Amino acid sequence: MRSAEMTAEPAEARQLSFSFLRPSRSAAIGTVAVIAFLVLWQIAPGMGWVNGRFTSRPTEVFLAAIDVFKNDNFLFHARISLTEFFAGFILAIVVSIPLGVLLGTSKIARYLIDPPLMALYIAPTLVLLPIMVIWLGIDMAPKIAVVFLGAVFPIVLNTMAGMSEADPRFLRMARSFGASKFDIFTRVLVPGSLPALLTGLRLAVGRAVLGVIVGELFVSQAGIGYQLNLYGSAMRIDRLLVYALIVSAFGYTLTVLVRSVENKVRDWRSK
Amino acid sequence: MAQIEIRDLGIDYRKPKSNEVFSAVDNVALSVEKGEFVTIVGSSGCGKSTLLMAVAGLVSLTRGSIQIDGKQISGPGPDRAVVFQEASLLPWRSVRGNVKFGLEMQRWNGGDLNERAMQMIRLVGLGRFSDYHPHQLSGGMRQRVNIARALAVDPQVLLMDEPFGALDAQTREIMGTELLRIWERDKKTALFVTHDIDEAIFLADKIVVMGRNPGHIKEVIKVDLPRPRNEAILDSEDFHELRKRLRAHLAEDMSSMQLVQEVA
Repeated sequence: MRSAEMTAEPAEARQLSFSFLRPSRSAAIGTVAVIAFLVLWQIAPGMGWVNGRFTSRPTEVFLAAIDVFKNDNFLFHARISLTEFFAGFILAIVVSIPLGVLLGTSKIARYLIDPPLMALYIAPTLVLLPIMVIWLGIDMAPKIAVVFLGAVFPIVLNTMAGMSEADPRFLRMARSFGASKFDIFTRVLVPGSLPALLTGLRLAVGRAVLGVIVGELFVSQAGIGYQLNLYGSAMRIDRLLVYALIVSAFGYTLTVLVRSVENKVRDWRSK
Repeated sequence: MAQIEIRDLGIDYRKPKSNEVFSAVDNVALSVEKGEFVTIVGSSGCGKSTLLMAVAGLVSLTRGSIQIDGKQISGPGPDRAVVFQEASLLPWRSVRGNVKFGLEMQRWNGGDLNERAMQMIRLVGLGRFSDYHPHQLSGGMRQRVNIARALAVDPQVLLMDEPFGALDAQTREIMGTELLRIWERDKKTALFVTHDIDEAIFLADKIVVMGRNPGHIKEVIKVDLPRPRNEAILDSEDFHELRKRLRAHLAEDMSSMQLVQEVA
């Protein structure tokens, strides 16, 4: 979040405010808050404020984490979830970028497909999960399908926006130098829409992670979501939290990675 | 024969909502000799930019014809290059990348692209900044890049659409002098659109004064100020005379516009 807010600020504001103080101060406050929370969490069950059976404790979660990585077939489950995630995500990229380009460059295609696309984007694609299970079984396929459906729309719509909202002044300039349609596409539209495409990818990451986990929670025989379900029904709060943390760390890391590329590419837009 | 020959030019637009047709430019005839620096001046809405874009081949003609070196134009061509207003530099390309853009589009085969681009960048005085990106440059520097990009493709005719319109008065004056310095080297035929009276006089061999409704040429004024020019001529007697004459023209246009607004 922080980096996006920083780039959104006008340059003057950034120079005038004492921004060099801010990161360290906010980091300090953040660290204090986290430590305070952990301490409170640790002592709360002992003081009788909460029932430790439902809340676990940081130390227990930490020990459970070591246990999970050592003895819980973690890599096996992680591999299945990662396979579902990347299969669905890569499929989504392969389909959505060409589709986004087509929609962004052809008005007719846009008029034709834009309304149903919008509807599908807004509707939670997870509602299709039961149908995917009926169609595709209970193996990886329905989860891949749900990941695909979750990831495909943000990428299509953002690519489309990036292409169709190209600055007309750039197009006119390119034409004045005799640029062909192909030249305009490769030299103006593609580089110009890259930031929007990356925004689409970033939004897609969150939806894809959600798709994998919910898909596995719904019906599966293995995977991180399966483990979550397992420890949920067994009331193993400590292990449940370990898996939940792993999922959010994965989604967070990927999002931050895409955002850092995005910010780099978008640098030139800040003015 | 003149290098640019515009005859009976008319350009109509259809308003997108009402489908009403209106004339941006009508009955325009103009000859520009080879090596002549012609400025086109007029208040906003007089069709001066439309006229320039028509010569660039970016706007289709409704009536009349435009010939360059005796050949009817039918779109943009390598014989012409345009210096646009601000914000026509590709923000993801460096200064050198931007200057190379036109060369790439025209499949330049006059030697090394990089070397050609660097020559032009040095010519406009940005040698040290070739790896900078547009957002790191001032408005004046960006327009130098814009000029370098147009000159790089070695056009017969240089078309400039208010290139200094977004700059402050001081920078604008410096850029005008710079432009003349560069232009003096090979005296390419130049068409320069502006709404700034001093700029129009300072640069020109010939000033085309345009009026509105529809855009038409009111008067063509010869400028006989000696070249090479510098800021000193801004204070000369002849310059004052020309300024007075142009002001009268534009004031006439403004008052007629106010009248229309009052009636409406």
